[in-house]
Amino acid sequence: MRVELRGITKRFGTFTANDQISLTVEPGQIHCLLGENGAGKSTLMNVLFGLLRPDEGQILIDGEPVTFANSGEAVRRGIGMVHQHFMLVPVFSVAENVVLGFEPTKSFNRLDRLRARESIHEASQRFGLEVDPDAIVEELPVGIQQRVEILKALNHDAQLLILDEPTAVLTPQEIDALIGIMRSLKDAGKSILFISHKLREVREVSDVITVIRQGRVVGTAEPTDSETQLASLMVGRDVSLTVTKEAHEAGASRLEIRDLVVRDDRGVAVVDGVSLDVRAGEIVALAGVQGNGQTELVEALAGVRPVESGTITLDGRDITNATPREILDAGLGHVPEDRQRDGLVLSMSVADNLVLNTPRATPYARRGSRRRSEVRRNAEERIRDFDIRTESPEAPVSSLSGGNQQKVILARELSRPLKVLVAAQPTRGLDVGSIEYVHRQIVETRNAGQGVVIISSELDEVLALGDRVAVMHHGKIMGVVAPSTSRETIGLLMAGVVLEEVAGA
Amino acid sequence: MTTTLANISETAPRRRLQRDQVIGLLMVALGLFTAWAFGLGAAGRSQSQFTFDPVNASGTVPWHLGALTLPTRVSCLLAGALIIAGGVEILWRRPRRALLARFGGGAVLFFLAILTWASRTHGPSQVSFVNLTSVLVGGIAPAVVLTYGSLSGVLCERAGVVNIAIEGQFLAGAFLGSLIDSVTHNFFFATLGGVVVGAGLGAILAFFALRYQSDQIIAGVVLASLVISLGSYLNLQVLTPYPQYNAGSPAPNLMIPLLGKIPILGPVLFDENGFFYLVVALVLLISFGLFRTRWGLRVRAVGEHPKAAASVGIDVIRTRYVNVILGGVVAGVGGVALFAWQGQFQPGITSGYGYIALAGLIFGRWRPSGVVVAALLFGMSVYLANNLQTYQVPVSTSILLMFPYVVTIFVVSGLIGRVRAPAADGIPYKRD
Repeated sequence: MRVELRGITKRFGTFTANDQISLTVEPGQIHCLLGENGAGKSTLMNVLFGLLRPDEGQILIDGEPVTFANSGEAVRRGIGMVHQHFMLVPVFSVAENVVLGFEPTKSFNRLDRLRARESIHEASQRFGLEVDPDAIVEELPVGIQQRVEILKALNHDAQLLILDEPTAVLTPQEIDALIGIMRSLKDAGKSILFISHKLREVREVSDVITVIRQGRVVGTAEPTDSETQLASLMVGRDVSLTVTKEAHEAGASRLEIRDLVVRDDRGVAVVDGVSLDVRAGEIVALAGVQGNGQTELVEALAGVRPVESGTITLDGRDITNATPREILDAGLGHVPEDRQRDGLVLSMSVADNLVLNTPRATPYARRGSRRRSEVRRNAEERIRDFDIRTESPEAPVSSLSGGNQQKVILARELSRPLKVLVAAQPTRGLDVGSIEYVHRQIVETRNAGQGVVIISSELDEVLALGDRVAVMHHGKIMGVVAPSTSRETIGLLMAGVVLEEVAGA
Repeated sequence: MTTTLANISETAPRRRLQRDQVIGLLMVALGLFTAWAFGLGAAGRSQSQFTFDPVNASGTVPWHLGALTLPTRVSCLLAGALIIAGGVEILWRRPRRALLARFGGGAVLFFLAILTWASRTHGPSQVSFVNLTSVLVGGIAPAVVLTYGSLSGVLCERAGVVNIAIEGQFLAGAFLGSLIDSVTHNFFFATLGGVVVGAGLGAILAFFALRYQSDQIIAGVVLASLVISLGSYLNLQVLTPYPQYNAGSPAPNLMIPLLGKIPILGPVLFDENGFFYLVVALVLLISFGLFRTRWGLRVRAVGEHPKAAASVGIDVIRTRYVNVILGGVVAGVGGVALFAWQGQFQPGITSGYGYIALAGLIFGRWRPSGVVVAALLFGMSVYLANNLQTYQVPVSTSILLMFPYVVTIFVVSGLIGRVRAPAADGIPYKRD
């Protein structure tokens, strides 16, 4: 199936998300849409999948113009989408998810589970998508859930598959498996639109690369182009892809975690006996596939999730199960994973957000009443020092870009005496320029002699920033390795192979 | 600042009881209470007598069964000991499964101990007995009404809409059912009235919840309050001055030939009114529909992850409308069943059954089969609470009426097993 987008324009109010975008996907082709977060990739895909109506432009399938009132119509025309956030019902089995909406039935409308299973087996074999049809989806690892999503699209007879940032949640080995699947789909004549901002994978798998920036197509590239060329096309200027990090001597131990056990909301011990030391002047990077306990570990460190057993010691003080207030006062800075939900009060001003963690401390308040002038003075200083782009200190923080919101949080956490900084996914969703800035700040914090813990699902970031890399799997630390360790070894650790076995192999 | 820091080191890790331990301790407490209140509380020589004779509506006894006589103190002590043993077993062996079943077993023993106490001889001259068959028959009647309510909840909440207006739908069904029965003396027409008014109220709730995405709890409570107030008004303005419109009668029992003659089980299960048989059919039908058919798969998908359902072309809003209206129909018929049991409409006829039914929905884990177990347990508590005044039971009837809610609080707080509502339950759905 040949799919052509011709002059697609989509506006939200005064903001133009897609501006005259044209591209063509040939049958049996893997076409990559490369662009930064916020470049308009997802908008374009939602237009193609019938979730949004374009303001201008046309979609043509095999030369024939089509319009979709909803995604059901797009599915019927052979377009399948694997969303970044999976559209799977967690409590259903694989088979139930795959057939949902297109169920085979027997008399009395009964589900024909046998036929559902058979069609899954058939597709599994044809495209190398091994999966147990009777497994419950929420019990499967993310990589397998993604296969279920792909199977679902194929079961609806998709000829064009849209994969929206499919590798964000996968281990390196799972990414390899996904690339294998993409190739076998391509061999079977399916077309694939692959959305990504990860240059390595894009170069490995694509036949054609279309680069978009700020809603416009800025060019096409060949997979043979270098990563630096692709990056500068994507960002619009030359970028350095490495973090400059001076050698730095680590000092005494600042944060000691001993046999920590933490449960998630369902009561599962997702941090299961973690012990880790963070010394002054070093960055410990926690690698691991999302959902292996990193999030809960950080929440326990920040005091927002109870510790079941084990201890956390900050500079000799036991802060296990202390309140967040006590932990902040003890000198721990926290950059939460979801900055909009946990890091900021979006409707409040930039100035107020900058003093959120010191609401009662002088000079911002006196005898229970706030001193607005001090709050404002502080805000102006921080906005200057951290180069926060905002109209005014009084503007609501929700009006800032993601990168500037993150700067507000960093400015707040870093401008008080810290012993340890804990940053979760510090660059998620940021543009390349902001990423460089955040990295620089983290390295400088470490150079200033503070201990730093970062968690990140981007392996590149972990390896670039970490002085030591601790790999988590199923709530346990599989090994602590140097950042020079091969990606393959780290990938195996992320998949749960213990360090000794990796070394032995 | 320094004081805060000093305090930190003294913060000890909190130890919390696991939920199975809480259940174990609860059962031990319940067992101790049973042994103390009913066992030691009974005179050493008193005896308890149970009879099993079926009783007709006319009060005649068609056949006799032998009575069972037990020593009160020993029996109640034994029941208490068994409950304690169950609790100790949970604390000791920490079983992972069937916690709820163990707890339910303890509750049944507790009920039996109450009845044993109630049926004891008070003195040499005074002989007392409890007819176990009529206790079971009496417990079934509220259980039927509760099952209708909970099934209504199953239909609505499985599709992701909370129907807290069941109490109001009950009342409307009972009012209209009574009115129609008074005029036509025909329960078929009365049931039709319940269907229509239930569907109407369901449609109103659905309209607010789906069209305007208002908070479903608030919309439901307001709707229920409105209907209940309207019921009082109409009662005062219509039924009181014209009593001929409130002159219905309880629905007649339909005995199934042969099966109805089985001792104990016959009168309890096979000599009931039409609403009993209808609800049995509904339980089977909804259970089959939800878990075996395409319709059920789609409904559950809509209740769990509406976006996923929409992404494969399922009309989320339409599915929810249909289910909330169907749920209204079931609750409306439940209201007629309530009237058919009581035989007359009064403003307070629903007396909280709509809310107990919601508790049963949670207790039964949003499954038709589980809902039946909850309805039987809660129905029995309601019956005992209403009828034990006649015996000098050392438990206040108000305490017994609290039982369904106490159990539900334990269930909801996750103390007994893990209950999980449909993931999108109560969350308004917006199209992108």
